[in-house]
Amino acid sequence: MIALSKKAGEVPSPFDAEQQRRFDEGLDKAVAKYPPDRRRASLLAVLHLAQDELGWISEPTMAYVAFRLDVPPVRVREVSTFYTMYRKHPVGRHHIGVCNSVSCWAMGSERILRHCAERLGIQPGQVTPDGQFSLEEVACLASCGTAPAVLHNNFDYFESVTPDSIDDLISRLRGEPGQKMAPGGHPNVPAPKR
Amino acid sequence: MPERVKILTVDWDKPESWSLSTYKASGGWRALPKALKMQPQQIVDEVMKSNLRGRGGAGFPTAMKWNFVRKETSFPKYLVVNGDEGEPGTFKDREVLLRSPHRMLEGLVIGCYALECHLTYVYCRGEFRKTAAVRLQQAIDEAYREGYLGKNILGSGFDLDARVVIGAGAYICGEETAMLESIEGRKGYPRLKPPFPANAGGGLFKQPTAVNNVETLANLPTIVEKGGEWFANVGVPKNGGTRLFAVSGHVNKPGVHEAPMGTTFRVLLDEYCGGMRGGKKLKAIIPGGASSAIMTAEEAEWASDYDTLKAKKTMAGSGAVVYFDEDTNMAFALANVMKFFAHESCGQCTPCREGTAWLSRLLDKICAGRGEKVDVDNVHQIARQMEAKTICALADGAAMPAYSFIEKFRADFDALVRG
Repeated sequence: MIALSKKAGEVPSPFDAEQQRRFDEGLDKAVAKYPPDRRRASLLAVLHLAQDELGWISEPTMAYVAFRLDVPPVRVREVSTFYTMYRKHPVGRHHIGVCNSVSCWAMGSERILRHCAERLGIQPGQVTPDGQFSLEEVACLASCGTAPAVLHNNFDYFESVTPDSIDDLISRLRGEPGQKMAPGGHPNVPAPKR
Repeated sequence: MPERVKILTVDWDKPESWSLSTYKASGGWRALPKALKMQPQQIVDEVMKSNLRGRGGAGFPTAMKWNFVRKETSFPKYLVVNGDEGEPGTFKDREVLLRSPHRMLEGLVIGCYALECHLTYVYCRGEFRKTAAVRLQQAIDEAYREGYLGKNILGSGFDLDARVVIGAGAYICGEETAMLESIEGRKGYPRLKPPFPANAGGGLFKQPTAVNNVETLANLPTIVEKGGEWFANVGVPKNGGTRLFAVSGHVNKPGVHEAPMGTTFRVLLDEYCGGMRGGKKLKAIIPGGASSAIMTAEEAEWASDYDTLKAKKTMAGSGAVVYFDEDTNMAFALANVMKFFAHESCGQCTPCREGTAWLSRLLDKICAGRGEKVDVDNVHQIARQMEAKTICALADGAAMPAYSFIEKFRADFDALVRG
């Protein structure tokens, strides 16, 4: 493959010094999981690292990841738009995902989603005006025996939820800083697949 | 009631069941030294005798898959563990990783020794990154410290490194070739087969590769220790061992229940899950994840093994059983299932990309009360035409519920439409 990214020259980093240190450390570990000639294979892991720092994957972030891994930028775009956990636009500092798949549906996930929407005053796909919360429907979380299930910021599970436990969760999260979210948005990035 | 055979869940109720000390206290990591004294082919032969079949969904005989890889002369070879649990209704691998990661890991080391593989990847779905994958990584770190992983394992001269890789939210990456693409750092488009992953040119980095499910591998320590014959006798003919049934829906005790292969859905419901919630009547059963054909309450007497269900035109799949009570409208249930498949179709093949979206739109229309009788017929017909026309099985998995829900619960659909 032609190393388009390196040929295009140095790409500026989207991170501050502290973020850069964590990102570089994580990148070295991610690359080390693969044989030396396969460092590009760590792309998914590296995108997770970038999102950990910035909350979403912007165009400049994609370009920087492409540069660091020596991957064609188009492949970074392809991967970051294919997988649903990478955000292509800023979301809330607390991103709430309500599972809508069949076991959770049978146990009342539609009611949970409606309840979240009412409490937060937003519809799935929207962010609250203060940027604190966002809401979306997510596909099966492998938490069907403890349905309905809710996911907070991609990785934290809340299971067997009820409207009351959702209220508790939301009021607790309101007081927490949550995920740092880089500002911005890009006019050319399509809205995420919903 | 006779005592239940437990293979995979023996430690689950113990405190810190995931730790090395708990696993060792119950006889863990004793099969590996025994395995390392055997010839690799001897292990495969023992697994062949055990009638162990893949627990991910297809139910392919594990030893047969391994023999394909062993026949290849190209090295390195890989074993990749499928922990991309995403089939709606399935949550057993997550429990294995959270509650007894060492059992899976011991099975993994045995499997790699049998395949002469020295680098293995465990692919966990992205949502597990801060939970199940962390437990697994802890177990791997412990195993390195104890000399169960790394160079010259237990003085046998066998080297193995294990790495955890994380997905990022794509059901399709549970398909083995899409998973290989994802491990290689690409979007999860399933590959055209042949070459199959077991063959040179088809596997990870184009090398011969066995892809095994988390639960499948967790059975190996027991097979090595007690022998293939013992394991085969636990199940029914051609379906050895127990299975982790991930039960959800309207039952009193949802959760992962370990029961012998072939246990009927009635026994599973009444004896393991405490019957239907609120004394309601059973209406329907999903026997093996959302992509399996639906069953009626009368069909609960069917045995749950791969061959019986295949003969009955459904499938044992991933062992995800969902029980629905009499209040469930099956048209709405199907609309939900189809929304999932339309969302998760990777978009590579037209019949799947267009078909699942079309079915989802039609079913939403029916459920909104705007449908006509012809729409129900169309759902059935489109589903039939999606089958066996695509690179992977996602389209077939979307078609099977579509036509079976209609064939078995037509009244629920007809009540919603005009004409």
